[in-house]
Amino acid sequence: MLLDLEMLRIRFGAFSPVDQVTLSVDRGQILGIVGESGSGKSLTATAIMGLLPRIGGQVAAGTIRFDGTDLVGLPEREMRRLRGGRIALITQNPMTSLDSMMRIGPQIDQAARLHLGLSRSAARARSLELMADLRIPDPASVYDLFPHQLSGGMKQRIVIAMALAGDPELLIADEPTTALDVTVQAQIVQILVDLARQRGLGLILITHDMGVVAQACDRVAVMYCGRVVELAEVDALFEHPRHPYTQALIRCIPRHDMARGTMSAIPGIVPSAAAQPPGCRFNPRCARVADRCRVEIPELRVGASGNGVACHVAEAA
Amino acid sequence: MIGFTLRRLVLLLPVFFVVSLVVFFIIHLVPGDPIDNLLRAGSSPEQRLQIAAKYGLDRSLVEQYFTWMGRLLSGDLGTSIIQGRPVSALIARNLPFSLELGIAALLFSTLTGITAGVIAASYQGTRVDDVITGFILLGSTVPSFWLGLLLILVFAVWLGWVPVSGARGWSSLILPTIAAGLGGIALVARVTRIAMIETSRQDFVTLLHAKGLPPFIIQLRHVLRHAMVPVVTILSLRIGWVLGGAVTIEYVFARPGLGSLLIRALNQRDYPLVQGCLLMLAMAVIIGALIGDIVQAAMDPRQREVRA
Repeated sequence: MLLDLEMLRIRFGAFSPVDQVTLSVDRGQILGIVGESGSGKSLTATAIMGLLPRIGGQVAAGTIRFDGTDLVGLPEREMRRLRGGRIALITQNPMTSLDSMMRIGPQIDQAARLHLGLSRSAARARSLELMADLRIPDPASVYDLFPHQLSGGMKQRIVIAMALAGDPELLIADEPTTALDVTVQAQIVQILVDLARQRGLGLILITHDMGVVAQACDRVAVMYCGRVVELAEVDALFEHPRHPYTQALIRCIPRHDMARGTMSAIPGIVPSAAAQPPGCRFNPRCARVADRCRVEIPELRVGASGNGVACHVAEAA
Repeated sequence: MIGFTLRRLVLLLPVFFVVSLVVFFIIHLVPGDPIDNLLRAGSSPEQRLQIAAKYGLDRSLVEQYFTWMGRLLSGDLGTSIIQGRPVSALIARNLPFSLELGIAALLFSTLTGITAGVIAASYQGTRVDDVITGFILLGSTVPSFWLGLLLILVFAVWLGWVPVSGARGWSSLILPTIAAGLGGIALVARVTRIAMIETSRQDFVTLLHAKGLPPFIIQLRHVLRHAMVPVVTILSLRIGWVLGGAVTIEYVFARPGLGSLLIRALNQRDYPLVQGCLLMLAMAVIIGALIGDIVQAAMDPRQREVRA
């Protein structure tokens, strides 16, 4: 396995907004992490990048094994060598992800110069090549532009180029299409899928869009309230969703043959980290809630297949 | 950029006109006139009228304004009524002292303030930040003249390292610079610190960390550059202050300067001298704001493009 998270718990002061997160991704594989806002998807990504201390959090328990090395407790100097080098991040909003006062090109160059030790001109050559790979028209002139002179989709390609500059093995894309026009979203997802397939990158695709999951991912981790509630292959997940939350999420995908006014939603709201219900965190919104769910937290049991579900009812069935 | 600068320069003309109006008329709102200062006790009303006529003070204010403005446009600021010397000569004699102290204080407060702000922001929430923030609070509350007196007591009287007062040699500039610069340090440090912290929260900084760049590179090459935009605004407002803001400091250290010249002129209702000094200070403020705008536009690529 390229990346293996086991029973990860993230703590902010007295709160643990992420707990018992177990998931893994291999080279050339695409893992989707889905869930509503506040489900802990981005925090998990931040933890893998080792950037939790920047926002006042820390890993309280569990392991993040990258290519055999546990990143939890790794000295910052060594973490920095991985960050942007072997592990790269793509953020949600390309409008705010680039330094508006710096030209595009040098921003892409940075990681290559830092991690691959390239000279200024070698890094530039590499950046231009990456930009061409990502189908950015006329890379040489885009190289000298400022971020505000590009469209959102172009900027996201630049952000992807920035992530690729350090020649990563693992790419974490945190809602890479959320801020983009629908027409551009599919292109960006396709670029990411191609990268994983052609370059053999491990890709973690964080999204709340089940459509993107179905289109792109090999495996899926469904998160709710900071916990992984279901872990499965993408086909199995859509054909036989086991967790009631996953089932509800799939019901929420709009289809063209639906009758007017029949869009469905999950009743209730995601509880805040400070006000988690006892027992299963989904129980107040769950259609199949049993007495046991209100007292006992279900554990994610991962089988030999690597699939698993954290639900008392689904396990009994 | 050049077009933008030229347009801003043309816009200065109406500003200059309004400033000249205010500068000319405002002194007339103050009760009393310079004639009182020229007459000996027991002078007759005829002598009064005679002097008024000599300086044109018997004519209407509007008339006086146009006379003043006419001379001004040919570069003549008039003659001091009390001292009997050309206003421009008096300003020219005092200006270098003001410039010397003002520039020294501005440089000192800018460099120290930015450095302190960057350090505080980089160590946000730690003891280092607390200490710097504490000094910022102290610096913005301690009156500069009081600090000046304290500095004189310690470094000039007790230790004897520098002269007590006057404006001879660079050593006499040290204490006034510190005293006059303190408020500026606090201001610049506070703005720098907050701007750095706010910039650090932006997505692009997260992404810079995600590239694995060392934090000090991120702080100095990226965050500081963004944080300098509000700092430049603050500094451009301080440029005007450079010439006239150090009046109390000039008094404490018995230094000549534009500030003390203006205060003396005000007390004596020396109209032409007051107007000349005020005009100099107002122009310094306007030019400061202009420089600030140009520098800011030059810094931000978006503004550069729109305004070019």
